[in-house]
Amino acid sequence: MAKYTVKRLLQSLVTVLVIATIVFLLMRMLPTDYYFTEDQVMKLTEEQKNDQLMAAGMLDPIGEQLLRFYGQIIRLDFGTSRRIQNGQPVVAVIGSKFTVSMRMGLISMAFSLVLGVALGILQTRNKDHLLDHVGAGYTILVNAVPSLVSYSLVLVVGSKVFGLPSLYSTRNVGESSVLPIICISLSSVAYYALWTRRYMVDELNKDYIKLARIKGMATKDIMVKHVLKNAFVPLIQYIPTSLLLTISGSLLAERFFSVPGMGPLLTDAITRYDLNVVQTLVILYASLGIIGVFLGDVAMMVLDPRIKLVDKGGTR
Amino acid sequence: MSKSQDELFRVVEYSAEAAERIGYSDYSYWKSVFQNFLKKKSAVIMTCIFFGLVIFSFVALMIGKYDYQHLMSESSLAFTAPNSEYWFGTDNLGRDYWCQVWYAAQVSIKLALIVAAGECILGVTIGCIWGYVRSLDRILTEVYNVINNIPMIIYMTLIALVVGQSFRNMAVSMICIGWLTMARNVRNLVLMYRDREYNLASRCLGTPVWRVLVKNIFPYLISVVILRLALSIPQTIALESTLSYLGLGLDINTPSLGILLRNARNYFLNYPYLLLFPAVIVSMITVTFYLVGNAFSDAADPRNHV
Repeated sequence: MAKYTVKRLLQSLVTVLVIATIVFLLMRMLPTDYYFTEDQVMKLTEEQKNDQLMAAGMLDPIGEQLLRFYGQIIRLDFGTSRRIQNGQPVVAVIGSKFTVSMRMGLISMAFSLVLGVALGILQTRNKDHLLDHVGAGYTILVNAVPSLVSYSLVLVVGSKVFGLPSLYSTRNVGESSVLPIICISLSSVAYYALWTRRYMVDELNKDYIKLARIKGMATKDIMVKHVLKNAFVPLIQYIPTSLLLTISGSLLAERFFSVPGMGPLLTDAITRYDLNVVQTLVILYASLGIIGVFLGDVAMMVLDPRIKLVDKGGTR
Repeated sequence: MSKSQDELFRVVEYSAEAAERIGYSDYSYWKSVFQNFLKKKSAVIMTCIFFGLVIFSFVALMIGKYDYQHLMSESSLAFTAPNSEYWFGTDNLGRDYWCQVWYAAQVSIKLALIVAAGECILGVTIGCIWGYVRSLDRILTEVYNVINNIPMIIYMTLIALVVGQSFRNMAVSMICIGWLTMARNVRNLVLMYRDREYNLASRCLGTPVWRVLVKNIFPYLISVVILRLALSIPQTIALESTLSYLGLGLDINTPSLGILLRNARNYFLNYPYLLLFPAVIVSMITVTFYLVGNAFSDAADPRNHV
């Protein structure tokens, strides 16, 4: 297992490096005009612009820039932010923002796991009856209606009927977080409900469940000890990734409610030519995604001993 | 005394008509698809609603009292509630909302259909090659992983900044990213079916590759491709609205759902009709398409045919 872990992590390192390189090259496609603020583009002469770009090393050959970038990654030096927060180290910029996103993300995840799985169980218990159809209707609506529309509806209902604040404010964190959290949870509740139901129904049709019924096992025990546990195996694969990526926040929800979180950071950094921030974020998200998938595999293995990550050889 | 064979049996003349009557089965793939589809009353009704909406969006623009091209800002008329003159009221600049909403609905449908068609053509072609040609599998899988692992918002932002914002750029960039999922689904299916015995037999008999793909494998792909298309249309509309809302989508002069809601974001708490009309129309389009696509994909699966 240790050998497998090391091998897999080394492979992932290569993947992250490839991704970082591609993003680095993609970002160099941006016209250099974006390097300056709108004011500067108007006022500075071409020579002044060239001087500034030269001083920042932006006009060096691509190969040289790339080598310098690799050097920085190896030294774990992520540089400073240029225009998101002037001159601050990128790590500090992220550090100041991620707590907001992560707190909301974690609350929303706990909420949607409980609600989604419960809804899925209820749907399975009432298969082809009213509650099942209600759940299916919810899933269809959430999947089909554009999130911008559903967020707007949540906003109108939340602020008109329940009097909740329509914008996030640091002075009233508790109340003003309610609507963003509901918006983030809408789709994940549907996701968990849909798949819990699907896997549980699949499981219910298996022969060992019939045997358990015949030998007189209580329905409740069958549901909890067999069906739910087995249905949860494919679901748990997904959980570590989403847990880790709560750090990235939600782009639309955070923009919609003006939450000062991580969501809009990536697009802001691109439009403001803050390359260090873009590269750090991409490396961070890619690594977290890869670690998440690995942890998911481990979690699946723990829950279901039949699943083996390491090929023992000869067992097939 | 039993009769001899010559007495019992009689040799008939060959008749092409009679031969056809025995060997002919009137099974036709598309006929069964439509028969199965028409059995689902709810899906048929949904289809009617969808086409009704699309046709009405043209009618609505014609019968509206204002033409989108000649809209004037008139601050004294701002936030007029819906009335007989302005059927959907007016926006914050006093412009007629009726023609904006229907025009936006048309833009969204047009974009979604173009992207879906492009995704389908590109995705199915690449998916077939990816699944069928063994030596390309590794390379294409790596390409897929790399493209898929970079956050999509980076591509969209870069395209918006480097190439510029327009309807065409938006459609092309969405196709360039959307084919990935389609190609992957198709590839997995092609891998499943390519080495079945009947394909092996076809290959031994010297059937050209394109014919194996088109005749033997393609029918199995249809229902998955349709399902993917049905999902892609609501997704495209949602993505367009999100990107336009963030200022990375269509340019500000093309009204689309995202732009309308972006303009209305600060006002619709006080003037809910600014949200209600676009929200209801676009949701109807996406929900009907989602349901119709699901029903049609069930009907297109040959395993559900008798």
